[in-house]
Amino acid sequence: MAEVLITVRLPAPATLESAMRHLDLAEDEVDTAYGLVPVDPRRNLYVLRVTESAGRRVGDTGAGPRGGDRPRAEGGPYSDPPIEPYGPPR
Amino acid sequence: MRVLIQLRPSPDVVAAVADPSVPSSASDVADDLPGIVIDHSYAPVAVPQPMPAVPGGDPLSLNQPLIFSMAPQDASVVVRGEIADDELTSRITLLPATRRDVVAVYADPAIETTLTCAGDPPVGDWHDVERLLCLPDLAAEGLDGSGVPLAVVDTGINAAYVSAARGREVTVDHERSWNPKSVSGTPGDFAVDHGSMCAFDALIAAPKASLVDVPVLLSRRQGGSTLDGLLSDAISAYAHLREVLDAQPAESRALVVTNSWGSFSPRWDFPPGHPGNYSDNPAHPFNLIVGSLAEAGADILFAAGNCGTQCRDSRCAYPDRPIVGANSHPRALSIGGIDTGGTRVGYSSQGPGRLAARKPDLCAYTHFTGSRALGDTEPDSGTSAACPVAAGLVAAVRTRWPSSTLSPAQLRTLLRRTADDRSAVGYDHDYGYGVVDAAGVIAALRRRAAKAA
Repeated sequence: MAEVLITVRLPAPATLESAMRHLDLAEDEVDTAYGLVPVDPRRNLYVLRVTESAGRRVGDTGAGPRGGDRPRAEGGPYSDPPIEPYGPPR
Repeated sequence: MRVLIQLRPSPDVVAAVADPSVPSSASDVADDLPGIVIDHSYAPVAVPQPMPAVPGGDPLSLNQPLIFSMAPQDASVVVRGEIADDELTSRITLLPATRRDVVAVYADPAIETTLTCAGDPPVGDWHDVERLLCLPDLAAEGLDGSGVPLAVVDTGINAAYVSAARGREVTVDHERSWNPKSVSGTPGDFAVDHGSMCAFDALIAAPKASLVDVPVLLSRRQGGSTLDGLLSDAISAYAHLREVLDAQPAESRALVVTNSWGSFSPRWDFPPGHPGNYSDNPAHPFNLIVGSLAEAGADILFAAGNCGTQCRDSRCAYPDRPIVGANSHPRALSIGGIDTGGTRVGYSSQGPGRLAARKPDLCAYTHFTGSRALGDTEPDSGTSAACPVAAGLVAAVRTRWPSSTLSPAQLRTLLRRTADDRSAVGYDHDYGYGVVDAAGVIAALRRRAAKAA
């Protein structure tokens, strides 16, 4: 599981840069081509794709050290499994 | 689930059942078994009691010389019935405790050997599907998909091919179509493959729908096969579809999304119970965005998958409950497959689903000669074909019933309620609520329109 997904809640209009700043993520930890994708506009909820170690560090369920002012994602790290067509059956 | 119930009624009843000259019925033997719908068309059968042939033998062992006693005080009687799939465990546990004459409850599996499987020749063709979906009646109601955006989230569409195969022009909505960042290509101009099959099948019931081409499965990942993507690409696609939906006027909003894909293996997922898991976790971002898009007014359909117990796809790696993740989403319709003869295809995944137990919701037609997109002699097959067939019916409905007058939740309920039920107890995990029934849908919409008038 090389890369994982994390969610972040940010006021609109959010950008990938603002998400990276909010979570203290370096550029080489983030899939910048994937970008910041809105999941639920009403809840200002976004998703981004990050390395597994970054996901563990900032994810709310991750194994990273917990500090009072350490930036945290809204959720994650979540899996990003491959998907395939359901046909024709083999 | 169909079951056999073994009972030990009074010896005179057993004697009557065992006597071929005495007519007997299931109600003579078993009436009012709580939670069981007795099949009265099945005549009760007397079953002998195995007993040790040698005095002093073990009364419980079948691995010894036996005699079989049909004496009324020894024999029992079997009747047939059905228990709702989601009550199965509790009913089977409670029944012998509440009814002393019940000896045991056994499964009564189908023993038909003719279920359609992978590699079998097609069963009928797409004109049969048109007939089964009452196409002339849909057309007479003005339900042909005109102006309805129908997103095919798949491997891309080849519109020229689909047009030629259908014998009429198809419409691709270039503006609303979308590519993942790693995919270049023009909407409607991708190589002929699985996505073209899905587009063809979706247009059977909604020939005038506008195809929205979303080739998520063409996205490449390192080490991946040629036709797969990542779930993160599907999240991006759904974010785009949300924009498509929100850009429409509220009073005429409609968007149908057909998804003939899924995850075959838990290998790349966190295990169930882990907060980052996809297969069983409604909080995964993709499951969230599916719910969010449906709430905003989209009709979302997912193939149930090809992991049916009778002839599962060799890629199926979930040990049980193979309808996973969004394919079992409570705000989406999960579509199983039947052939045009009305029998479930053996590879169609059975429930319960992982996010919502009552999956699949419905069955629709598959394994027929259709697009020939996968080869000249290849049927349009898999729940991959069943899902867009059902999505076409939904798009046809949306021609005159936007989400402002019939919400996605209401339409899901209408489709379930009007489905042709294949069991005696309503929902079951093979067919769901039943087979999509266009005539039933039309009648329900007429009633609804009359009420609103």
